[in-house]
Amino acid sequence: MRYILYMNSLLGRNVLISLIITALLIGTVVYAINYLNAQRVQQLSDLQTQLATDTLSVETQFALLESAPCEDLADGNIVSQEVSDLGDRLSVAESQLGTTNKQVIQLKQQYTLLQIRDYILTQRLAQTCGIKPTVVLYFYSNTPGSCADCDRASYALSYLHNLNPDLRVYSFDYNLDLGALDTLKAVEKIQPKFPAFVINGKRSYGFTTLDDFETLFPKNFFATSTASTTATSSKKK
Amino acid sequence: MTLTVLTYPFIFIAVFFEVFLLVTFLSEPARERRSRSRATHTPAVAIIVPCWNEENTIQGTVDSLLALDYPKDKLQIVLVDDGSTDNTAAVMDSYIGDPQITVIHKENGGKHTAMNLGIEKAATAEFVGCLDADSYVAPDALREIIAYFDDPKVAAVTAAMSVWDPKTWLERMQNADYIHGITLRHVISSLNGLYVTPGPFSFYRRDIILDVGGFQEGYKTEDLEMALRLQNAGYILENAPRARVYTKTPRSVRALVKQRTRWTTGFLRNALYDYRHMIGSPKYGTLGLLMLPLGLIANVSGIIMFGVLIWKLGSSIWDKIALISGFPLSYSLVPHHGFSWFFLPISFVTLAAVIMLVGAVTTMLIGKHISKTPSDLFVGIVLYLIFYGFIAPLWLIRSMYDLLTGARRAWR
Repeated sequence: MRYILYMNSLLGRNVLISLIITALLIGTVVYAINYLNAQRVQQLSDLQTQLATDTLSVETQFALLESAPCEDLADGNIVSQEVSDLGDRLSVAESQLGTTNKQVIQLKQQYTLLQIRDYILTQRLAQTCGIKPTVVLYFYSNTPGSCADCDRASYALSYLHNLNPDLRVYSFDYNLDLGALDTLKAVEKIQPKFPAFVINGKRSYGFTTLDDFETLFPKNFFATSTASTTATSSKKK
Repeated sequence: MTLTVLTYPFIFIAVFFEVFLLVTFLSEPARERRSRSRATHTPAVAIIVPCWNEENTIQGTVDSLLALDYPKDKLQIVLVDDGSTDNTAAVMDSYIGDPQITVIHKENGGKHTAMNLGIEKAATAEFVGCLDADSYVAPDALREIIAYFDDPKVAAVTAAMSVWDPKTWLERMQNADYIHGITLRHVISSLNGLYVTPGPFSFYRRDIILDVGGFQEGYKTEDLEMALRLQNAGYILENAPRARVYTKTPRSVRALVKQRTRWTTGFLRNALYDYRHMIGSPKYGTLGLLMLPLGLIANVSGIIMFGVLIWKLGSSIWDKIALISGFPLSYSLVPHHGFSWFFLPISFVTLAAVIMLVGAVTTMLIGKHISKTPSDLFVGIVLYLIFYGFIAPLWLIRSMYDLLTGARRAWR
């Protein structure tokens, strides 16, 4: 009996020590995950600053459009390259931090605004300078179950943009709470059916295959590609 | 997310157990056991080799026993042929005439009957050991074992098992698992928590074995049943971490799953049917409070965690295939953004898994160190980390099925 009591006291001591160490280890893991997420948010904040600069740049180009010659404006990168992977980062941040994270939502709103401004500038450039850019407005939904084909549609747009970097893709979360986006949806008469596209002014809904999707674009647009780049990305943001 | 949450309690328990092993390894009872020297006294010992159709390995087994560093007049070897149908009987008969060796042939009745007959014949021995006929011992193993019988309450002492000459990937993986088991047995024995006295070179005090009624069939795990019966009777089970014994292991996944299913089902049936009263009882110390409950939880958690892993992995592969089908592979298989830690899939589960893997590897390295097992372990550890988590659930699931349906399977 004394032996059992002695063994049980040793067991109790070791279990207690082990529980404390385990709790510390698990606590460290939780802390590390939170720290990494905080670092991710910090990176997003840096991109936020970049976004503000880019937005200002677009505004300035708008102002210059009145007096500058077309050839000085039409070939320029309207949105900077640094922001081009923001969509990817926002997707990761959304999955790690959740779709309701305030900072993620704020960034999406800012990025959406920048895209809308860039889209308007592109339209004005086209009218003023007589150029014909191929532009896609892409509306997706992150609400579970509302868009089975959005991932494939995003992937297809990324692929097509990779095939011809002259393709300008603007992606919008249909459910994002932003007045400017609501106006754009109203102007373009976008129904809540996903995925939704406006390709060179023509509306279409749904995604089946890459081949079918390519027929919505100008003939031979993807047959050749140029060296110029645009910074827009087709990933969900 | 919901499915992953299911794994959290099991992750906590797994990390806790790894920590517990390391804490107990550093505690005084374990340190005292590691410091013990080989026995200089040489009590009378008998080693029983129960054998059924082991014509290829029996000679090596007997030769390794004859090479033991122990006085020949104190060491009796009892070879029991349990109704073999191959050439085993003839190989055994070639030892007739050796004064150390007794050869017995009997009708097939199961390993426990062979053991009981051998114990009966070893009438002069104070200690009786068992060595499966596919195992080989290091020359100093017996003296290492005897050193742990000093306390008269010690009824049994187990050895440090590893795989004999591991060559194939499966043998190397099992070797890592066995060496993990060396640390486990050493640590748990320091708190008297052992629940199995394995066939390869476990020793017993003969009079205690007879007192408790000898070996029983024990749901085809007579070694596990005996350990539980001895613990139930209040005896102490020890482990000699430097008593090296090498055993042959299954050479195919199918055979491995069959062997481990027998072991696992035996554990579940013995623990849940015949020794249920020990589970959670302070009267049975570490065994009752920790090892039996954790053993049962490990079976359930292994199945659940495997299910979640397969579901997550399967759905992720399915989603990826669905995403990229119809697109050129030259685009799909190339990453489209540069490397950045930002995109690394670091989560609670992945970090916790790293801790568990570090714990498991540490335990293996400790096992190799304390037992002085000579084989190369690096490849085995890598193979263990890659494959064990996918193979082990197969026997856990099969065992659970057998338990729930009452299915009985053949030994081999």
